[in-house]
Amino acid sequence: MGTKGRETAISQLRRGVLEFCVLALLRDGERYSYELVRALGDADGLVTTEGTLYPLLGRLRREGVVDTTWRESPSGPPRRYYHLTSDGQAALGGFMSEWARFRDSVDALLEKGVLK
Amino acid sequence: MMTDTLHPLAAEYLQRLRRAGRGLPPGRLRELLAEIEGHLSEAIDPSASDAQALTVLDRLGDPEAIIAAETPHADEPPARRGTKEWAAIILLLVGGFIFAIGWVAGLVLLWSSRAWTTRDKWIGTLVIPGGLATSAVVGEVLLGTPTETRCRGVAGAALHCTSAPGPSIVSPVVGVAVLALLVVAPIATAVYLARRAA
Repeated sequence: MGTKGRETAISQLRRGVLEFCVLALLRDGERYSYELVRALGDADGLVTTEGTLYPLLGRLRREGVVDTTWRESPSGPPRRYYHLTSDGQAALGGFMSEWARFRDSVDALLEKGVLK
Repeated sequence: MMTDTLHPLAAEYLQRLRRAGRGLPPGRLRELLAEIEGHLSEAIDPSASDAQALTVLDRLGDPEAIIAAETPHADEPPARRGTKEWAAIILLLVGGFIFAIGWVAGLVLLWSSRAWTTRDKWIGTLVIPGGLATSAVVGEVLLGTPTETRCRGVAGAALHCTSAPGPSIVSPVVGVAVLALLVVAPIATAVYLARRAA
């Protein structure tokens, strides 16, 4: 695997995890698209291009893990607010326990070169 | 549309996005444009400096990248021009000379490849079905070839043959113009497909 292949692997990893980051941001209540995108964009190393998050939000909507409501904004055009569905809550819960195991194993390998 | 309240650079960005997204299903493109427009109007004040606007646009990324992420299969590694794509392009162009089967094979490769959008695939299919083989057949009909060959001869003696062009069904000028178009169109399509898959 060349440098290019490794970049692809990292971007695939990022893409795979990102949708659960969206779900996690919605855990404590609804947020509108711009809020979500800016929050993810501000996190270090998570998102390279904010614009590609909008197609992701659309896909999560079509998959039924989030649902949306339009609300008037105090300024400018109406905003689309996202909230978790019960499917989304279940998906997030499943990911959280899997991720904890995955992260611990990878961290142990990366830091000590052995599995704990 | 809120375009008139957008910063000029933001409006230009939205136009680029609209152009890049022409291959998307209309509903998906409309939804995406609405979301990005909301982002732009929120992030860039119409009176902001160009530098501030460009910072926001940089963070958003290339319109083409956003469209690519919206395109089906975007989650898989991007397909690029490989042996299969070259085979499709060549077969679509000249495969018709192999009993038309070659062109059909090219069509199968074209539609099974992920290197092209549905719009590209329709262009590859419809301009011109059969590729250059169709051009050759139509050209022959239009320009009155094949030549007629008449032979006179007496048994036992050498045959004496003369060839003369057959009658043309359209004027030569129209025939040549149509033929030129029929030759250029499949070649242009092949070049287009090669570039789109690059």
